[in-house]
Amino acid sequence: MTAKTIGHHAILKIDKAVRRFGGLVAVNEVSFQALTGQVTGLIGPNGAGKSTMFDLVTGLRPVTSGDIYFRDRRVTDAPPHTRSPMGMARTFQIVRLFHGMTVLENVLLGLHPKFPDGIVRALFSSRALAAQERRARDRAMELLEFVGLASRAADAIGHLTLGQLRLVDIARALASDPTLLMMDEPAAGLNDAETRNLLNMILALKARGMTMLVVEHDIDFIMSACDRIVVMDRGAKIADGTPEAVRNDETVIAAYIGRKAANATH
Amino acid sequence: MTATSNTPQRKSITPVFVVLAIAALLPAIITSGFQLRLVMLIGIYTILSMGFNLLYGYTGQISLGQQAFFAIGAYAFSLLQLKAQWSPVWAMLASVGMCAGVALVIGIPLLRLRTHYLAMATLAFGLIFYGVAIRWIDFTGGSTGLAVPPLVLGDAPLSRVGVYYVILLLLGLVLLLHDFIIRSHIGRALQAIRDDETAASALGVPVTNYKLRIFVLAAVIAGIAGMCFSMMSLRVDPSMSEFRILVSILTIAVVGGLGTRFGPILGSIVVVLLPQVLVSFGELETLVYGAFILVFLLFMPHGLSGLLENMRWRKFFRAGSSDVVER
Repeated sequence: MTAKTIGHHAILKIDKAVRRFGGLVAVNEVSFQALTGQVTGLIGPNGAGKSTMFDLVTGLRPVTSGDIYFRDRRVTDAPPHTRSPMGMARTFQIVRLFHGMTVLENVLLGLHPKFPDGIVRALFSSRALAAQERRARDRAMELLEFVGLASRAADAIGHLTLGQLRLVDIARALASDPTLLMMDEPAAGLNDAETRNLLNMILALKARGMTMLVVEHDIDFIMSACDRIVVMDRGAKIADGTPEAVRNDETVIAAYIGRKAANATH
Repeated sequence: MTATSNTPQRKSITPVFVVLAIAALLPAIITSGFQLRLVMLIGIYTILSMGFNLLYGYTGQISLGQQAFFAIGAYAFSLLQLKAQWSPVWAMLASVGMCAGVALVIGIPLLRLRTHYLAMATLAFGLIFYGVAIRWIDFTGGSTGLAVPPLVLGDAPLSRVGVYYVILLLLGLVLLLHDFIIRSHIGRALQAIRDDETAASALGVPVTNYKLRIFVLAAVIAGIAGMCFSMMSLRVDPSMSEFRILVSILTIAVVGGLGTRFGPILGSIVVVLLPQVLVSFGELETLVYGAFILVFLLFMPHGLSGLLENMRWRKFFRAGSSDVVER
């Protein structure tokens, strides 16, 4: 991870994104930005449309209307597989690792766009390729060391706990050397210790200058991890600001935190 | 950070050369024509199954139409020599191109389908080809098929051992390609497609593109196997695209182990040699053969390859020195 310059300009811009499913408007004219070197949180109660929003940004689903810009390039219609080479990496809420492969091989997949494309080209550069493969393996190993799983490199995916799988997923996403790391509910299903470990990992990445977009359900997690928070409710953006500002925003309290706070005090 | 020392490295290519060296020496030991034919058959089935292994074992895209490409390769090879008087080398190259062309044309629409839909569609392709081959008598010779001119070296036709080495050369090329793909980043990407297409594409793997390329490659490999078969048997007929061939491919996959480096070789050895051993059972042969396959399905889900990998060297080392045991 090379340290990125922290100039805080918008690396990701969402401009009036709309997504309809039949009659249902899952995302309704939502605009927000993610600034370099910052952790941007995307939160909201169940059904707020944050997961759909995430799918729009990662290209898994097309927008009905609106635009998405990444590093000042319009990526609205870019297919998912072209986004990783551009510098957008993502993790999955339901861990989607490759079960037929070892932990190391999973992380190596994150380095795929750096390899020559196609069999013929690979065949004709086989000597350079062997060196590249060695470098890739060392790089993948470094990332596994960073997430604390180097000792499990040769293990099958099936032998890991959910917390460890999330870390492999993060290491795999980091392998592409992204300029923007997008995480879909990284803390879902984790116990307290695992969540704390994950939070430390995110803060360590931020210290290295990584820009992140985190969709999360866990409000305490997002408050401690993020610099800025975008709050969605019923498909629309209802707030956008620092954790402090969002915490005291009345619309947010009414829509989300209010319900939680009310539950907590009673 | 020096991770080099404990980073698992990629697999070695040595076993492939060992296999090829053994195969190259076999004609020195084997003298009877019948036995040499069996070894050639093993080679041909190995080639055919390697294409299927890449396509289904590694990429997870099933094709039940490989036997059609097997026959297309042989028919094209034969017809170009018979009707257009092409030389064997040009006929071979053109046949490879033809298999690729057909695979490209049917692959683009078919690969949108998944799992059993893809299976049904490719099976339909296989059945249609068989129907055409058997009924278009003027062109394909119908059920009697066509004679394939023998390969010629100088003025005399190539000896049986000569044909063996031609087949071995093609086997070697396909084996090296198969192994290169599996051990490279491309093999990793194919497995990623098999395990989770969405995640693969999020990591920058061009899923649709790779699927199509491997489908075309598997068809070309099947075509090469078909040409080898017609060089050996000196004829081509519609039985090459029969169900029987497809069943053999599937049996080899089960017995050898799907998605393994040496499954196609191990499976082909068993599938070719076992019936010879079972001949002594007389009428019970088919029954015993069936029972044997069932045993594989039940007790060796990863075939012979899986079995060898699991018990590999562990006991071997334990017998010698207890601290050399591999993890």
